[in-house]
Amino acid sequence: MTITPQNAQIGDMIPDHKFGPVTRKSLALYAGASGDHNPIHIDLDFAKKAGMDDVFAHGMLSMAQLGRLVTNFAGQANVRHLDTRFTALTPVGAIVDCTGEVTDRREEDGETLLTLKLAAHIDDGTQTLKGEAIIAV
Amino acid sequence: MGIFDRSTEGHVTPPVEVTLERGAIAFFAETIGEADPVHLDADAAQAAGHPDVLAPATYAVVVGTFAGQKAARQDQPDLLTLINGDLRVLLHGTEAYDYHGPMYAGDTVSVQNEVTGFSDPKGGKLEIAHVTTRITHAERGPIVTATRGIIHRLG
Repeated sequence: MTITPQNAQIGDMIPDHKFGPVTRKSLALYAGASGDHNPIHIDLDFAKKAGMDDVFAHGMLSMAQLGRLVTNFAGQANVRHLDTRFTALTPVGAIVDCTGEVTDRREEDGETLLTLKLAAHIDDGTQTLKGEAIIAV
Repeated sequence: MGIFDRSTEGHVTPPVEVTLERGAIAFFAETIGEADPVHLDADAAQAAGHPDVLAPATYAVVVGTFAGQKAARQDQPDLLTLINGDLRVLLHGTEAYDYHGPMYAGDTVSVQNEVTGFSDPKGGKLEIAHVTTRITHAERGPIVTATRGIIHRLG
C-alpha cells in the first residue's frame, strides 16, 4: 500500500527520494541559482588553501532534497515546518538518499499533524543531514 | 576567543525589500532537480491555482541571500560581513523554517535578520552564530521564519 499523509501511521516510511551524483557542475549551478558564492564549494584553489582536499557540496543543496522529499509526500501548502542539522560534508560524486519516517500523528486545533524524522545518507553510508518536518494532513 | 564579532549579538538589520523573479525561481528549481512545473512555468502554476510560479520550500534561503547582496550594493554589510564570518573555516550547522504562507514570483517581500546569540560547543573547538531571518509580505504578513546556525571550525 502506498503511504500517503491520509493513511500514514507512526513508524511508516514515506516514499524516499534520491539526488545525484553531485557533480562540480551541480555545485556551480547551485552557487549561481542560490546566490551562495562561497568559493569553498566551487573553487578548488580556495578549498585547498583552506585545508580541504576538494570542494564539497552546499549543505542547502541537500536540504533542498529534503524539501523535495517532504513536498512530494505532503504537498508544499501543507508543510508547516522543516529543519535540519548538517552532520557531515557531502563530497563531489555522492548520491544523496533522503528518507522520512512518521514519528507522530496528532490532532491539534482541529487538524491532523504528522511529524516526520528526516535523514539524508550518501552512498558510502554516512549520514549527512538529520532533520524533522511537520505537515498538515 | 573565536572569530565572530560578538558585539553584534542582538543586532537587527534594516529591512531589505526583495522582489521574487520567475526566471530566478525556475533556475533554482531546475538546479535542485525539481520537476513540478508549478515551480518552473507560470501557465502551469496558474493552471494549478497559483497566482504565479511558486518558490520551492528552501527558496527562503535564496531570498535571504539576495537581500544580503542588495544590502551590500547599498554599502551596508551583508550578514556574514556583519558578524565577521570567515569562509575558510565556515560551515553551515543548522537550518530551520516555519512556514506561514507561500511565496510567488512577483511578490515583494521584506527581509530582516536578527543575530540572536553565539555559542561555543565542543570545548571551544567550534563557535556558532545563531541568526533568525524573518520574511514578511506587506499584505499577507509573515511568510517564513528561518533560523540558522553558522559554524566556525576553530580547533
